[in-house]
Amino acid sequence: IAMYVLFLQTFTLFCIIRCCWTEKAANVSSTNIIVMLMDDMGWGDLGVFGQPSKETPNLDTMAAQGMLLPNFYTANPLCSPSRAALLTGRLPIRNGFYTTNGHARNAYTPQEIVGGISHDEILLPQMLKKKGYISKIVGKWHLGHRKQYLPLEHGFDEWFGAPNCHFGPYNSSWRPNIPVYNNSEMIGRYYEEFEINRKTGESNLTQIYLKEGLDFISRQAEAQRPFFLYWAADATHSPVYASKLFYLTDSTLGCVILYGDAVMELDDSVGQILLKLQSLGIQENTFVFFTSDNGAALMSGPEESGSNGPFLCGKETTFEGGMREPAIAWWPGHIPQGTVSFQLANVMDLFSTSLALAGVSPPDDRALDGLDLTPVLLAHAPQNTSPADRPIFYYRGNELMAVRIGPYKAHYWTWSNSWEEFKKGINFCPGQEVLGVTTHNQTEHTLEPIIFHLGRDPGEKYPISVLTREYQDVLSRISPVVEKHKQSLVPGIPQLNMCDLAVMNWAPAGCEKLGKCLKGPKSEPWKCDWPH
Amino acid sequence: MMHRTVLALVNIFICGCFASPPNFILLFADDLGFGDLGCYGHPTSLTPNLNRLASGGLRFTDFYCTSPVCSPSRASLLTGRYQTRSGIYPGVLYPGSIGGLPLNETTIAEVLKPMGYATAAVGKWHLGVGPKGMYLPTNQGFDQYLGIPYSHDMGPCRNLTCFPPDIKCFGLCDVGVVTVPLMHNDVIKQQPVNFLDLERAYSDFSTNFITTSVKKKQPFFLYYPSHHTHYPQYAGPGAAGRSLRGPFGDSLFEFDTTVGNLLATLEQTGVINNTLIFFTSDNGPELMRMSRGGNSGLLKCGKGTTYEGGMREPAIAFWPGTIKPGVTHELASTLDILPTFAKLAGATLPRVQLDGVDLTGLLVNRGKSQREEMIFYPTDPSEMYGLFALRLGKYKAHFYTRGATHSGTTPDKDCPVFAVLKAHDPPLIFDLEADPSENYPLPLVGRPDLQKLLDRIMKVKAQFEASMVFGESQINKGTSPELEPCCNPSCSPKPSCCHC
Repeated sequence: IAMYVLFLQTFTLFCIIRCCWTEKAANVSSTNIIVMLMDDMGWGDLGVFGQPSKETPNLDTMAAQGMLLPNFYTANPLCSPSRAALLTGRLPIRNGFYTTNGHARNAYTPQEIVGGISHDEILLPQMLKKKGYISKIVGKWHLGHRKQYLPLEHGFDEWFGAPNCHFGPYNSSWRPNIPVYNNSEMIGRYYEEFEINRKTGESNLTQIYLKEGLDFISRQAEAQRPFFLYWAADATHSPVYASKLFYLTDSTLGCVILYGDAVMELDDSVGQILLKLQSLGIQENTFVFFTSDNGAALMSGPEESGSNGPFLCGKETTFEGGMREPAIAWWPGHIPQGTVSFQLANVMDLFSTSLALAGVSPPDDRALDGLDLTPVLLAHAPQNTSPADRPIFYYRGNELMAVRIGPYKAHYWTWSNSWEEFKKGINFCPGQEVLGVTTHNQTEHTLEPIIFHLGRDPGEKYPISVLTREYQDVLSRISPVVEKHKQSLVPGIPQLNMCDLAVMNWAPAGCEKLGKCLKGPKSEPWKCDWPH
Repeated sequence: MMHRTVLALVNIFICGCFASPPNFILLFADDLGFGDLGCYGHPTSLTPNLNRLASGGLRFTDFYCTSPVCSPSRASLLTGRYQTRSGIYPGVLYPGSIGGLPLNETTIAEVLKPMGYATAAVGKWHLGVGPKGMYLPTNQGFDQYLGIPYSHDMGPCRNLTCFPPDIKCFGLCDVGVVTVPLMHNDVIKQQPVNFLDLERAYSDFSTNFITTSVKKKQPFFLYYPSHHTHYPQYAGPGAAGRSLRGPFGDSLFEFDTTVGNLLATLEQTGVINNTLIFFTSDNGPELMRMSRGGNSGLLKCGKGTTYEGGMREPAIAFWPGTIKPGVTHELASTLDILPTFAKLAGATLPRVQLDGVDLTGLLVNRGKSQREEMIFYPTDPSEMYGLFALRLGKYKAHFYTRGATHSGTTPDKDCPVFAVLKAHDPPLIFDLEADPSENYPLPLVGRPDLQKLLDRIMKVKAQFEASMVFGESQINKGTSPELEPCCNPSCSPKPSCCHC
């Protein structure tokens, strides 16, 4: 049933179920964990979140069998920092995945980036190892491509995928194509051994990622080892791609792959992974969470962009469209089926929640930004209660742009993109310019934040008047939270400041065996330029 | 009579699927947009009962009403014909309107009556009151009626209470007319209406009607066009403050609660497996009300416009045991409800040009919809301009576009009234599957396939327009203050003395 189901059950029933589930959870010490992280998929891309097109029957079924979380957020509206936050349970401003080259600039890890995830950070697979978990990442890593930053250096046992986005193809004399790794050695490069047809958009990559995921699950199930699978497919990121099974060939046009084809293939893969768990009989021992790294990339529309539903703007921005993510939790027999939780939650909670499921206590030597969501997931919270009182922080680079508490969101800074970029035709908010809100200058509102009630106005179109009692009440509640956060915040060393052509993927480990080593230029580092 | 019964029996026999004629409940929300329900992706609406209908029934993603404003849309719903035929245009009817839905039009209630159905309407009529109440539901095939015969903002509301304990309605509503009455059949029971108690009255009336009909072993048709979610929103003590979405959300939740009461009554009376519940809305959200207006989700603009946001609606068909749960992307419309109900009841279709198609194949067997196109008329259709837009398969062609006051205050510059009438030749063409938001018109140059499509669209348009005979406009007949419903007809000074 493709549906956003709310079953009101009697309170007594809640209690009974609640007790049972909590007990069950306590007994399971080695729950398998699967996090499916999509790339640039929007909140509004799922049928269950109102997408009228025909793309997500499997995800809709997953929601009907699990719990839908309409208030789920990423930590940053761009891929690298979002992924770093997921795996460390910490805001990018703490784990170093940001830049200080400019104010409030989104930064990521293109292949000229010198930095990557610091060895001082503790990643989820490292923690899970304490309980004997085997961890694999399939797909996009994006936490640094140089040797010391790669997944197997940070707790993963296996990896199949690439360290950067699948941009290209490049002329190898000035820029190497992105390598694809199997564990710690490359086995080819995009556009060379791993084809992505830029003319048609055809590529087999999602099928390869699916097979890698399914094989891993089968192997661990057979060995009866607890596992963590981080399935990070990237077909919905521009350039979008899909395999032959998932696009239609038009006789007059040839084949042109549209965003929805990529969604359908990913949806099919999700269905196959869940089916595999069921056929192996481990579904009641496997927690699966589906979400996306940031909002849909509206600037790539229409062919290569998803939908953020009713929300304002998209990727790169700290409006809801940039940071609210589709989210489904699935764990038959533990998470009540067909439920919706309005709990405010974010990707960093997946770190804390996974640790709780594995029975590992979180690191106590550092600030964590995630919460353990198991009480929300395993209990059946009545739908009409207010979300638990925890703030959501919206960061763009080194700046805290906005804060959400309960239904209220206060913008301290607003910015879509610069006039310069906008005039080049890059529009993060097509059809959605809200006067004084989607500003093209970085605009500070610290003295008088722009406040929205996201319950009444999820699209952030109608600021609450500063003259109202409501505004003053909200401000007096939000201000101390912001103050406390800022006072206690110790920013990490920024990892995304320096770029150098010499550090690109010229000669990744394993290139010798393949005869695919390239010679790079001399090291000439510069301060990276981050226009957004 | 005997003859008729035999015919009906034969019909049922031929159809072979239903032991006794099914009951029908038609729920019609007001100004509720495509993105307003939880099951259509609203992040904060609280609609557990509508979501229950959606999860246990068939949810439509491509369902349309026929007009971006109330009265014409309702005329099409009840007659299965575009409003241009019945004359319910331009705009809407007013309390003192001289015209109304012509009595020679056949409503769903009139189609079902000969099959022995008990019929009742409860809520917002908005198809005319007229001299001596000649256009009220009881003259259009309904045995009983309880409700406000037009929009509940069509009377001064500044001093009325919309939320408990005594929160006044937001805004002024229409001034210079009588306050809104609550009518039972053609008798005014209350003027002004008590909003805090209104939904309980509607719910009780509806559940009584169901219980009585079941007791009499009579099949029934309940038409409940709700006022809720139209400006000014209201809700009684059971719903106020319950949703995360403020006044709009509370109002929607109160409507949803009645849906729950109806479901409970169907279960208690044991007829839930023999009742088709159909839910949809009259037109898109009134975006000018800002956070007190509805939400069209990812669709463009809202009420008053012929963009998707103005006319694509949430719609659910629920019939446990007969309609399998799921989602359909097939094209369907409010026009199709009359032929569908007629088919299921074994009733005869009116002998007029109908614009609806029978959806039973889609509902019961999940077959294809027979509907291939959808026509988009503006709020003020005219023979001079003809249709504004046409959807054929997944493509929509706009021949004219225009913003609307109702869709004002949105960031999209195409929506407000300042976006004046613009003709498009060739028409703007959108692929609604790839681009449901109508952001990116398809380039016709260098696309012979689209040129072919355009030829087909022009052919369908010409065929449709050739079939269209505009009925005499009922709304242009004007208004007369004496016709405004008044509980104390001989009082003075009017309208303020109409207060009982």
